[in-house]
Amino acid sequence: MASALKTYGTLIGFVLVVLFFWIEIPDTFMTAKNWLNISQQVSMLAVVAFTMTIVMVMGDFDLSVGSMASLAGIVAALAFRDGHGVWVGVALALAVGLVGGLLNGALVAYVGILPFVATLGTLTVYSGLAFLVSGGKTIFGRDIPTAFSGFARSGISLTDTVSLPSLTIVAALVLLVVWFTLEQTTFGRRLYAIGGNKEAARLAGIRVRRLRFLAFGLSGLGAATAGLMYASRVASANPTQGSGLMLDAIAAVFLGMTMSEEGEPHVAATLIGVLILGVLGNGLTQMSIDSYVREVLIGSIIVLAVASSSLGKTKG
Amino acid sequence: MTATLRMRLPAAALFLSAVFATGAAVAAGKIAVITPYLAQPGTQFYVEAFQAAAKDKAWDVNVIDTKGDVAAVISRLEDAATQKVDAVVINVDPAQVEAGLAAVKDAGIPVVGMDAGASPYLVTNVTSNGYAMAADTAAYVANRIEGKGSVVMFVFDAFPPVQVRGVIADAVFGNNPDIKVLDRVTPDVSDGGIADSRAKMEAILAANPDKGSISAVWAAWDQPALGALQAIEAAGRQDEGIVITGIDANPQAREAIAAGGNFEASMAQDFHGIGAAAAEAVAQTLSGKPPKSSVTYVPTKLITIDNVKE
Repeated sequence: MASALKTYGTLIGFVLVVLFFWIEIPDTFMTAKNWLNISQQVSMLAVVAFTMTIVMVMGDFDLSVGSMASLAGIVAALAFRDGHGVWVGVALALAVGLVGGLLNGALVAYVGILPFVATLGTLTVYSGLAFLVSGGKTIFGRDIPTAFSGFARSGISLTDTVSLPSLTIVAALVLLVVWFTLEQTTFGRRLYAIGGNKEAARLAGIRVRRLRFLAFGLSGLGAATAGLMYASRVASANPTQGSGLMLDAIAAVFLGMTMSEEGEPHVAATLIGVLILGVLGNGLTQMSIDSYVREVLIGSIIVLAVASSSLGKTKG
Repeated sequence: MTATLRMRLPAAALFLSAVFATGAAVAAGKIAVITPYLAQPGTQFYVEAFQAAAKDKAWDVNVIDTKGDVAAVISRLEDAATQKVDAVVINVDPAQVEAGLAAVKDAGIPVVGMDAGASPYLVTNVTSNGYAMAADTAAYVANRIEGKGSVVMFVFDAFPPVQVRGVIADAVFGNNPDIKVLDRVTPDVSDGGIADSRAKMEAILAANPDKGSISAVWAAWDQPALGALQAIEAAGRQDEGIVITGIDANPQAREAIAAGGNFEASMAQDFHGIGAAAAEAVAQTLSGKPPKSSVTYVPTKLITIDNVKE
């Protein structure tokens, strides 16, 4: 019983939150339309959190994802403004994300800087670059092609009134790719080995440095993807718009980690973490609860979830 | 608690609002006010005034601050559409949240802008009148120099809300045959506008060294006016009676006006008035008579040494 609570406490909490909103908001909460809405609302956070899971599997952090998301949006918007097509802008932004992520990886794996410090440094650098190349301005209006901003508003029609949003599809694809990479490939299993014990992993012949380097590259790529999704959703790019993503992503992964026996991050559990944050935002707004109360609640839930899981462990 | 009761007991709510409204026609309703900018002083004033007006109307107002996150505004707009609120008020550039506005429109919910920018998705946008603010300060200048002399203008035509101010000042000065526009300067604003305006003004002062050769400086916003003031004081020409005006009445400008120097006037926006007028626009919309114009202007006020301390 105690062990079940330890492992499934967060999941049970999630179900309780959903039940609570279902009872309080009977007409509109538990509808396909609302859930598709939630899936779209959390899609950007989800992509960042999924790829953040990859580095957190190794016990590392990437604090630069928020500024990378902003920078990627700015890079794409500037490319659009200079008359390049949608695909050129998107490709450039993703390339910037990959290179920025690999730079984090190089600092962590080859230079040997603690991830917290290295990515705190690049957080500032990428944010500064976003301001520098944009001149601190928001790029919007005619500079953003409708084909790009239209993507976030498009979807696959399911019925007359309900459609599966494109952003949700992107997040689902990223989920699948990350799940497959982490759970089904040698690359992924080796990342877990590194997270378990770096030294043992190295002695077992795992090329720890190269894997950490690559994992950070994937995290940067995910951040850039989320930045593009964000820019498409708001049909504009601003040098600070991704900054809220980082802490929420780490929170989502932590919430997910409480559901694993060993306290390891798993991307499916991260999805539950993301959904908890998204459902709270959606449900509390529908209940007209003050937005600051929401902040307090979300923070408390994170602490509660982690506390219940670690208390369970010390007892067990 | 009362909010929950009101939701559950609409009949009781109607009765209560009828009692408290003392006979006035009310449309009790659920209103979502959504902004990413609640931390900014102007927005706080709008929202406070809106809430005060809403209290009189017995509305259930939910203020949602997304703390700078514009995409979250879209999410909260979608939630408000799902929740079927009676009206939404936004304080954010509508062009950036069109996806959310479309969802709200599909749900048949009216949206009122509170200094938000014009958009076909809005019933009306309540804001200050840039044309009127420029007319007031330009007329102040023309009257102070008694319709004759040389005026330096600081403008910024690249930014539409400021561009309209310059056009109006051009018209006012052009209508005074004895006023000559000495220079129409566009300062570099990348450093905030004060430093470059000061440098530009220093150059103009050097080119016009005689007393009385410059009668006034009209600036389309406060920063160039402050830069010009610094240049005039640094050149030791503060006693030549050069009249300076700005627009916005920011704290620095108010200080300069209160000091009684060359900086004589600026325009203050009525943030409380904007909040109250937004509430009125919502009330009209809910009662089935939405405002006719896509923009609703709230009067602004000329700030001089006589009223700067108020």
